Amino acid sequence: MSITRRDFIKTQAAMAAAVAAGTTLSGVKNADAAGEDDIRWDKGVCRFCGTGCGVLVGTKDGRVVATQGDPDAPVNKGLNCIKGYFLSKIMYGKDRLTKPLLRKRGGVFDKEGQFEEVSWDEAFDVMAEKWKAALKAKGPTSVGMFGSGQWTIWEGYAASKFIKAGLRSNNLDPNARHCMASAVVAFMRHFGIDEPMGCYDDLEHADAFVLWGANMAEMHPILWSRMTDTRLTKPGCEVHVLSTYEHRCFELSDNSMVFTPQTDLAILNYIANYIIQNDAYNKDFVEKHVTFNKAATDIGYGLRPDHPLQKAAANPDVGKFDPISFEEYAQLVSEYTLEKAAQMSGVPADKLERLAKVYADPNKKVASYWTMGFNQHTRGVWVNGLLYNVHLLMGKISEPGNSPFSLTGQPSACGTAREVGTFAHRLPADLVVMNEKHRAFAEKVWNLPEGTIAEKPGFHAVLQHRMLKDGKLNAYWVQCTNNMQAAPNMNEEGYPGYRNPDNFITVSDPYPTVTALAADLILPTAMWMEKEGAYGNAERRTQFWRQQVDAPGEAKSDIWQVVEFSKRFKVEEVWPEELLAKKPEHRGKTLYDVLYRNGQVDKFPAEDVTDNVGNVYNNSESKDFGFYLQKGLFEEYRLFNSAAGIPKKGHEMASFETYHNARGLRWPVIDNKETLWRFREGYDPHVEAGSGVQFYGKPDKRAAIIFAPFEPAAESPDAEYDLWLCTGRVLEHWHSGSMTRRVPELYRAYPDAQVFMHPEDAKQRGLKRGQVVKVQTRRGEVETRVETRGRNKPPQGLVFMPWFDAGQLVNKLTLDATDPLSKETDFKKCACRVLKG
Amino acid sequence: MSICGLVVHAKPGLVGSVQASMEAMKGVEVHQATGDGRLVVTVDNPDEYEAGDILNSFRDIKGVLSTSLVYAHFEEDYVEGEHAS
Repeated sequence: MSITRRDFIKTQAAMAAAVAAGTTLSGVKNADAAGEDDIRWDKGVCRFCGTGCGVLVGTKDGRVVATQGDPDAPVNKGLNCIKGYFLSKIMYGKDRLTKPLLRKRGGVFDKEGQFEEVSWDEAFDVMAEKWKAALKAKGPTSVGMFGSGQWTIWEGYAASKFIKAGLRSNNLDPNARHCMASAVVAFMRHFGIDEPMGCYDDLEHADAFVLWGANMAEMHPILWSRMTDTRLTKPGCEVHVLSTYEHRCFELSDNSMVFTPQTDLAILNYIANYIIQNDAYNKDFVEKHVTFNKAATDIGYGLRPDHPLQKAAANPDVGKFDPISFEEYAQLVSEYTLEKAAQMSGVPADKLERLAKVYADPNKKVASYWTMGFNQHTRGVWVNGLLYNVHLLMGKISEPGNSPFSLTGQPSACGTAREVGTFAHRLPADLVVMNEKHRAFAEKVWNLPEGTIAEKPGFHAVLQHRMLKDGKLNAYWVQCTNNMQAAPNMNEEGYPGYRNPDNFITVSDPYPTVTALAADLILPTAMWMEKEGAYGNAERRTQFWRQQVDAPGEAKSDIWQVVEFSKRFKVEEVWPEELLAKKPEHRGKTLYDVLYRNGQVDKFPAEDVTDNVGNVYNNSESKDFGFYLQKGLFEEYRLFNSAAGIPKKGHEMASFETYHNARGLRWPVIDNKETLWRFREGYDPHVEAGSGVQFYGKPDKRAAIIFAPFEPAAESPDAEYDLWLCTGRVLEHWHSGSMTRRVPELYRAYPDAQVFMHPEDAKQRGLKRGQVVKVQTRRGEVETRVETRGRNKPPQGLVFMPWFDAGQLVNKLTLDATDPLSKETDFKKCACRVLKG
Repeated sequence: MSICGLVVHAKPGLVGSVQASMEAMKGVEVHQATGDGRLVVTVDNPDEYEAGDILNSFRDIKGVLSTSLVYAHFEEDYVEGEHAS
């Protein structure tokens, strides 16, 4: 790089930073060497978390060489977090997969063989043979797929159509099950429609912020920086942080609370009780806009039915709730006094009371944020709901600054997993397979015979591993996620499931992850900017990007893989005669013809994808299939959320073209106008004039307050396993580290996992900082090193271990106990012991 | 080789010491400090590994509330054929 070019780039870097900081630089040379800059810039979306930051992507000679926080992106206003530095590098790891790999011995597939390079044809031939054999022997429930909140919107949509309509199996579930299923179920129970009512603008509008089990400083740094700005500039603004261990958010906290795991249930009921006892609740709002209910209790722990804890439960898996009066509700929460909450949680009473007062003050706007601390919880649906109870009692909801807000960890957990409906029980736009009318609507949109979609929900994430192990799920495809590492209890469920000789496992990934290496067939995948994509972030914002570069070698996008694989199935091979007889025009066709060449998905011809300054972009799928696949899939998907006569209103989206020209739009989008706060008149066009507030997801347009009590965790420390084990993430690595661990700087910055421990706990066990130790649970053992300082400071009695490290698989230790209602695993609580290594 | 532009938000009152700590690092320049604690910073370090480590170490400086990346450029990081596995 020449000196002048270097200076030029540095000047650009400084100027961009100055603009983002809201200042201008004096004394720098004007970057007028534009002629030297042959980088093509286009808008994109960050590949990592659910914040959904806009990124400008700089491409030169077919490579992404630079990225920049998008100054026009409302989410991040020109900033990115440090992980953004590595965005352009995640595609260029040295061990990128470029050819399909099949386990073979003697030239043929062998489950015990070694991985050998094969052609796509051979890969799909072997895979199709296995899938057809499973379908023939055991029917649709023997095949399934595990997808991702990192799938683009159309990848999830194409896969859902293939599995649920084409193969007639509901065994499709996303990794988002591990991260926000509890949030989803709570939204449906309390509001009848998924996703937050507020938006990120609340970060500037609120007077007080409360973090409930969210380490925003490390996991959502851009939102954290917006909150930091508000805290430092708005007089009287305060930040309250609750967690089971001390983390970086505590540095800005005005009221820090470390509580005993699971007692968030008691604290939230105490706050509701405080509000009622002090007559602070919003009587007008409660009168007009909510109902009171009580949840069925003693609901078990989502374990296998023969597990003693499951057998002991009075109402295992029961999600029922019944109406009660306000007085009955007041009576139920009255048990949760300040003394009781303080005693159970270990948080000093004055801190709890200070927190309760913030919620109870009618003049303070409160925004509450949570992520995995609430969601990965055996009472995750309840604890999400108990927080809604508090906001609803005060009417502090659906208006600027008053915002209970569920954050997400993946870039399209909302856009793909939730909105497209890639869960085992869902169809697009909040429709569900259990509802006959919803199935009929989907079949109509898809031009399929009545009765194509199965009524029974499929296997959810944790159940998929159990069914693989039990030999009931035999042909299985994992895309865009590292679930062997991510799922709980891998020793007893996940790994035996993949290696069960009855099963054929396919994993699509850009890299040889732990999951890929446990498979029988690995398919090389195009990632991020190597394909045209769309994500939906946590504030309902749908964002698109164009394909910036080509994938290496023979790597293909997930969408290409699903659509291409569908060509291998004749309808007669997968549908019974009585179904075909209802739509005889489908006879003799392949699933590709029926699902993707149906006159809708193939409606738009391939075109030159062009931005508004005339740059032309490749679209690999258009080239291969001969039509604009992404556009066709999106426009067909819109028939579920925007066409006349849809079963559930409130999910409306704009046209495909609109998104390519916008920095994202928050649904519902009505007449091309986005919605910032839902359910409130003046902000949400679905709310009828004069009503003020309408929770229109519910037939009576009222939100549900649902009482639920404290119930203990599935496993708590005892004499034998004397510590709580909590797992989670660190800033440097995103999730399982399959991308970030391949970036040398990040690997060096945080090479290996550690177990964070209180110095006193270490001392009692005779352990020194940095010493090798064994962490053991009833399910397994992991060797690691002790850290008694550093960013995470657990209280005595609890240890924290991150899960990014494929060399220290912490999910050998975790228990596959789930929330019985959401089926989401509690990765935050089990009992362990730590011994000298 | 990488060149980055960043905005570092420091606790008002500690801006001076944060700036001094940063400027002591190789390749780090602080171009401006705003009145409300924001520093405009570039990192230009010929050693790509070192540059990455420097970015990661900013938040360990006392008084740093958040570090945001604005611009990242890596022109000569990779050589032809590196894609081959």
